[in-house]
Amino acid sequence: MRPLDRKLLRDLTTMKGQMTAVGLVMVCGLAVMIMAHSLILSLESTRAGYYARNRFADVFVEMTRAPNALRSRLEAIDGVQALDTRVRGALRLNLPGIAEPADGFILSLPEDRPQQLNLLHLRAGRLPEIGSRREVVISAAFAAAHGFRPGDTVEATIYGARERLRIVGIALSPEFVIEARAGQIVPDPRRFGIFWMNERELATAFDLLGAFNNAVFGLAPGADTRAVIAEIDRLLVPYGGLGAYDRGEHPSARQLDDELAGLRVSAIAFPLIFLSIAAFMTSAALTRLVRLQREQIAQLKAFGYSPGEIGLHYFKFALVVVIGATAAGVGLGYWLGVLVVGVYHRFFNFPELVFQPNWPAVGLAFAASAASSFLGVLGAIRQAMRLPPAEAMRPEPPADFRPSAAERLGLARLVSPAFRMALRNLERKPWQAFFTALGLVFATAIPILPGVMRDGISHLIDFQWSLTQRQDVTLGLIEPASAAGLHALERLPGVQAAEPFRAVPARLRVGHREHRVGITGLPREARLSRLLDAQGRPAQLPLTGLLLSEALAGMLDVRVGENVRIEVQEGRRPVLEAPVAGVITDFTGVGAYMELGALRRLLGEGRTISGAHLTVDAARWNDFLVAVGEAPRIGTMTITAAMRQSFTDTMAQMMGTMQAIYYGFAIIVAFGVIYNGARIALSERSRDLATLRVLGFNHREVAAVLIGELALLTLLAIPLGLALGTWLARLIVEVSATETVRLPLILTARTYALAVLVVLGSSGLSFAVVGRRIRKLDLLGVLKARE
Amino acid sequence: MNERPPPPAAPPAEPVFRARGLTKVYHSGIDVEVRALNGIDLELFAGELVVLLGASGSGKSTLLNILGGLDVATDGSLEYLGANLSGADERELTQYRRDTVGFVFQFYNLIPSLTARENVALITDIARDPMEPEEALGLVGLGPRMDHFPAQLSGGEQQRVAIARAIAKRPAVLLCDEPTGALDVKTGITVLEAVERVNRDLGTLAAVITHNAVIAEMADRVIHLSDGRITHIERNAARRPARTLAW
Repeated sequence: MRPLDRKLLRDLTTMKGQMTAVGLVMVCGLAVMIMAHSLILSLESTRAGYYARNRFADVFVEMTRAPNALRSRLEAIDGVQALDTRVRGALRLNLPGIAEPADGFILSLPEDRPQQLNLLHLRAGRLPEIGSRREVVISAAFAAAHGFRPGDTVEATIYGARERLRIVGIALSPEFVIEARAGQIVPDPRRFGIFWMNERELATAFDLLGAFNNAVFGLAPGADTRAVIAEIDRLLVPYGGLGAYDRGEHPSARQLDDELAGLRVSAIAFPLIFLSIAAFMTSAALTRLVRLQREQIAQLKAFGYSPGEIGLHYFKFALVVVIGATAAGVGLGYWLGVLVVGVYHRFFNFPELVFQPNWPAVGLAFAASAASSFLGVLGAIRQAMRLPPAEAMRPEPPADFRPSAAERLGLARLVSPAFRMALRNLERKPWQAFFTALGLVFATAIPILPGVMRDGISHLIDFQWSLTQRQDVTLGLIEPASAAGLHALERLPGVQAAEPFRAVPARLRVGHREHRVGITGLPREARLSRLLDAQGRPAQLPLTGLLLSEALAGMLDVRVGENVRIEVQEGRRPVLEAPVAGVITDFTGVGAYMELGALRRLLGEGRTISGAHLTVDAARWNDFLVAVGEAPRIGTMTITAAMRQSFTDTMAQMMGTMQAIYYGFAIIVAFGVIYNGARIALSERSRDLATLRVLGFNHREVAAVLIGELALLTLLAIPLGLALGTWLARLIVEVSATETVRLPLILTARTYALAVLVVLGSSGLSFAVVGRRIRKLDLLGVLKARE
Repeated sequence: MNERPPPPAAPPAEPVFRARGLTKVYHSGIDVEVRALNGIDLELFAGELVVLLGASGSGKSTLLNILGGLDVATDGSLEYLGANLSGADERELTQYRRDTVGFVFQFYNLIPSLTARENVALITDIARDPMEPEEALGLVGLGPRMDHFPAQLSGGEQQRVAIARAIAKRPAVLLCDEPTGALDVKTGITVLEAVERVNRDLGTLAAVITHNAVIAEMADRVIHLSDGRITHIERNAARRPARTLAW
């Protein structure tokens, strides 16, 4: 080993505390970077493989009823490479031992032709035999939630008829990577499942023999999706087509895209913040080292070492930290990635989702941290390279001080000599003070992010399921019913209040922007399923016009008062221009709302309903469930409390995992920054401090001098850090908002208090460590050494 | 300033310091012992000005450090006004330095971020019966420059600030380790004059370390050290005023 490298190792050993602090902050950034990039790689490659192998369709469409004869015309559309026509319907399940009924989709499997698209991935068992009766394949998540195995039977109500179905297979489908009810974002596999059955039998059950009500298309490479969709819609007009859509509007595919978008934000934003802080810290530590080793540098130069060799020597300090941090960051990022993939398994249904480390990202992480620390130490290295040997061997002249600004303002009499030392030190090295303060500002800011996440999640849950949806249950009918239908629901046992709703699929257009969305008609004075504005006040439905989710208004780039073109995708398919009367606040999914009467007039209907929101007497809950189970026309049942529970279990758990990770990192950064700052201050001030000890100051008095300076910076940094944290939280909430879920920005005193506590706690700990060092100050050595 | 040479001080009966068999052993490396002090017997008296003279490594700094409570002896005993210093703990030594001892170092050790006046005030803030910083600075002839920072003062001026800082608490003992080592002759003499004046006017026991034999002429007693032992102690018939010294 070259002597210069031996010196490097020995110097690193003496600086190990500081270098560890810098390294830990770097590790945080690298771990997030590697975790996020690897998760992106894992999800993208798993998705790409799965979609390709199981031939996930490109375009999807539902209609009321189309004859099988239409198949050849759909197949002939330019750009269509593969077509599957299917029967799709809702079913309700009567599961023994489950208090609340479950429901799901049932889809047909072709018997007279091979399946082209959305091939099932069988986990167990087999597909139904051709011509068999009552054999079904069920989705793996649902099977797992209930412990179903091939050979088990399950009782279901399909289109009003009770059937006992025999489970022959358990499968996954690329259509249902996220297996949730239409319009819902979280899986609830105990209460929702996907079923597959032979086509003939299912068509018979839905009275669709010789016809289909659902079609999926595979497109040729380079096909014009928009043109294909337009042609499909044109052909399906007479058959009640509900408007074709591509993967971008497919609920499961879309949600997967949104998750990836969120990961991309994490992959950039967090490493950027952490690596910048690490660069500041490296810079401060190495600048100090170069100053301390002024004479050694001069000697090396006198011996004939070139400035380049000396510069490289000091860069190696940073490099060792970067290499160590990259190794640790890879390990931690890998571990966190495996942890998050474990959470993903509850969310995403892939045949196989394994964590794949993204090695190019590791290379990128190494390069990013090496580059950031190189930038950080550039100043120190240049200083070392430029130092003329003769000058460097002379002791540094006494530092030049002057009265601080506060004193020039006449406040001198108010402060003690110790505090005056602190003020003047800060003023004399404004850049160093600035960077230490900047680190502290970040240390204060970062704990705000997980706090905002936590409060956002709990606000979202309360807002969604306590303020907005105050019904106990939402019942959906298998097809729209008249006023009598509402009376039937009102008469169910235990029902205390019922509020009808009418929901239709529609396409909203503003200029060239469009979005497929359900329009929900609600009573003007809805009390159960309420719409709220940003302040949580009930928004009244206008007699004309629409209320839109704020996010939907954003996607359509439409403002209140401007017109939206509504293309209803059901029944007579009316088209109407209507103004946006207002925006409402919601945090999951997006929607459009009209006054119930206005929607019925638009549809040209009488007093139709799609279902109702109900409150039910808890004492009669079981009677209610039994009655719902026996009501043939009820298609879906959503229990608000169960939804809330499943959201809490899945989404909140996923976000909670990230929140815990960021809290951990926030504490590491806070401690690292403050400890590094304290160590640098101690090293710069050790001569002064030892002098004070010699002159009779005790430990506490000496520590107060040093800590005064850091405490001053900390106090200065805290309000700025709170402001920066607020800004960062707002930025991250904004960029990570997706159609699937948008976290509200909730800033509570608790979050701020916790951030301050993290910083003060870290300061306390750092000061304690530094305080111990003050006890060990070499009183004699420091008096002999020259400045 | 007084033109007459100072009268020789008559040693009072009770010594300020009484050292018996004072020994200091440093362990540097495994099985390597350095005997910095090797059984010193010594008494120092109030109002005395003593010079410790010896080559580098003779043990004079070690002795001064132990007298000043900066270090503790390995063996032997040291009494300050009858109180045992050799058994004192860290806290007691801090209190002893705070109340009793004034230090002057070769490299001044001023706090660069404080002005001359503030450097002195640092001590007067914690001392029991201090003089005003202005008075202390006046004693060393620095009254007009007391609002300057160390970087704005010459070496001699900085050392005089260090002396003012050392005497402002009215210490019983003033310990100076090579106070002129970093200074030219002219500046060195002004610094020695300040030490001389404090010793004379305040009656402070002053011990000055030097390897410059000329300086020994201003002392009441000169203690010669070599290899950790006192080789001999000479008493000057008359103290020579510092301003008449030359080297």
